[in-house]
Amino acid sequence: MFGRSHAPAALVAPASLYVAAAFLLPVAILIAGTILPGGKLSAAGYVRFFADPLSLEVVWRTVRIGIVVTIVCIVLGYAMALAIVDAGTKARGQLIGLTILPLMISPVARTYAWVVILGRVGLFNNLIVGLGLTQQPFRLLFSEGAVYVGLVQLFLPIMVLPLVSALENLPADVVAAARTLGADWFTVFRRLLLPLTREGLVIGGTLVFNGAVTAYVTPAVLGGTRNLSLATLLYQQVAVTDDLLAAGVVATILIAMSVTASVLLRRVSTSRDRALTRAR
Amino acid sequence: MRAIGRIVLGVAFLFLIGPFAVIVAAAFHGGDTLTFPPNHLSMRWIMEVLANRNFQTSFVLSIVLAIAATLAALALGVPAAYALVRYRPRGAGAIRGLLGSPVVVSGLVVGLALLHYVVVPLDLPVTIALFVAHTAILLPYAVRVVSASLVNLRVDIEEAAVLLGASRLTAFRLIVLPNIRNGLLAAFVLGFITSFNEVPASLFLTGPGIRTLPIEMMLSMELVYDPSIAALSTLLTLGTLIMVLASERLLGLSRYV
Repeated sequence: MFGRSHAPAALVAPASLYVAAAFLLPVAILIAGTILPGGKLSAAGYVRFFADPLSLEVVWRTVRIGIVVTIVCIVLGYAMALAIVDAGTKARGQLIGLTILPLMISPVARTYAWVVILGRVGLFNNLIVGLGLTQQPFRLLFSEGAVYVGLVQLFLPIMVLPLVSALENLPADVVAAARTLGADWFTVFRRLLLPLTREGLVIGGTLVFNGAVTAYVTPAVLGGTRNLSLATLLYQQVAVTDDLLAAGVVATILIAMSVTASVLLRRVSTSRDRALTRAR
Repeated sequence: MRAIGRIVLGVAFLFLIGPFAVIVAAAFHGGDTLTFPPNHLSMRWIMEVLANRNFQTSFVLSIVLAIAATLAALALGVPAAYALVRYRPRGAGAIRGLLGSPVVVSGLVVGLALLHYVVVPLDLPVTIALFVAHTAILLPYAVRVVSASLVNLRVDIEEAAVLLGASRLTAFRLIVLPNIRNGLLAAFVLGFITSFNEVPASLFLTGPGIRTLPIEMMLSMELVYDPSIAALSTLLTLGTLIMVLASERLLGLSRYV
């Protein structure tokens, strides 16, 4: 019925050509431009970038943001996913809906809420000053901590969703069986839940890490100019200094970071897989 | 265990949803500077935001852009998804990877590359540039959501139509389309919301006087510290809430996320 013909190629071609022309090709030229400035092979752009201690600081801060946000999301997300799955089938649908809802709302609005909460005369400072805990309001905004908070709120749902589906797909009663056979909760978690939900952890972890590393709105609004990430640095280089070579270098590093993270995480999951098969 | 679970969920949802309550409350503060809790309530800033010319024009641009880019992404994505699911051509995995690739890269990079190597050389107007970038970014979502609903559709009813003399196109129009209607509408809603909220890809592609609403918000956020952005955020949050709840009720949107 659906035998060989030219139909699939003709159906796939427009979308593929579009992605190639509007995305792959321009990005490829941008990357190529960083090693071939003026048509000659040269690493000058990268040498200049990595020789600047300020840009090294930005790279390290971006990696740190990615790692911290991913770890916090994994811990909170796992607890949330366990509680959602444990809540029973009827409540589960509503809880998943409640988790998805914030994802749909403008990141600008979501981030701005933290300005209202963390600002000098915001919710948090008015609360602690009002309670007499301190005379002087804290400077919470425009800090790396504020960026962590904003990003965790932004990406936590992305971690929860794959974990919930991984936990839902657990074979029925395995947890009860392990408990009956004498395993404590920690052993159940380490020997049973963790290996069986690894796929969900890898998917969620990759999405969160990539999202946190490439996020623009949150570091721009909550980090201020003193806590630049690679994304906000990239914007500055284009908008303020109009340095295309430097911007291309930052863009290439950003892409490399996302790709490396996905590959590494996949590697971690498959090597553990092999170890597990061997152990059996 | 249940009790601990309840506490975990309570704290987690306070963290996830609570900020929206804060921003709604801040929007009804009548004073000149942003503060929380609001000390006298008024509709002043809601009214001011609704009457703001810059916000009005950028809102219209964002709506038109979101509809146009989502329709374009579906026009490209539906045939591709259909071919990938039904024919499983050789290299389907590679094609899927290609069509999904715009999601992997930061929108900022997509916008920058498009600006320098497509928009400037071809001298494209700002609106077209935004349309091209948003379509590229929405295409992966369109392919994914439509593929998911096609996978759930049985092949044999379509084959029956063809055996009974319908052309492939007729079978697609009369059998496949009505059956994946909810998936298509869900893909439209998700694409619309994604485009409407998009910041990074639009950042480099906006021009003087032509800005999408989120970009306009980012800019005025740096200039003013009054409750107007809180008021606008509140309006957007409520608008999105109504849209998402309606599509959840009618289409079961959360199945497609």
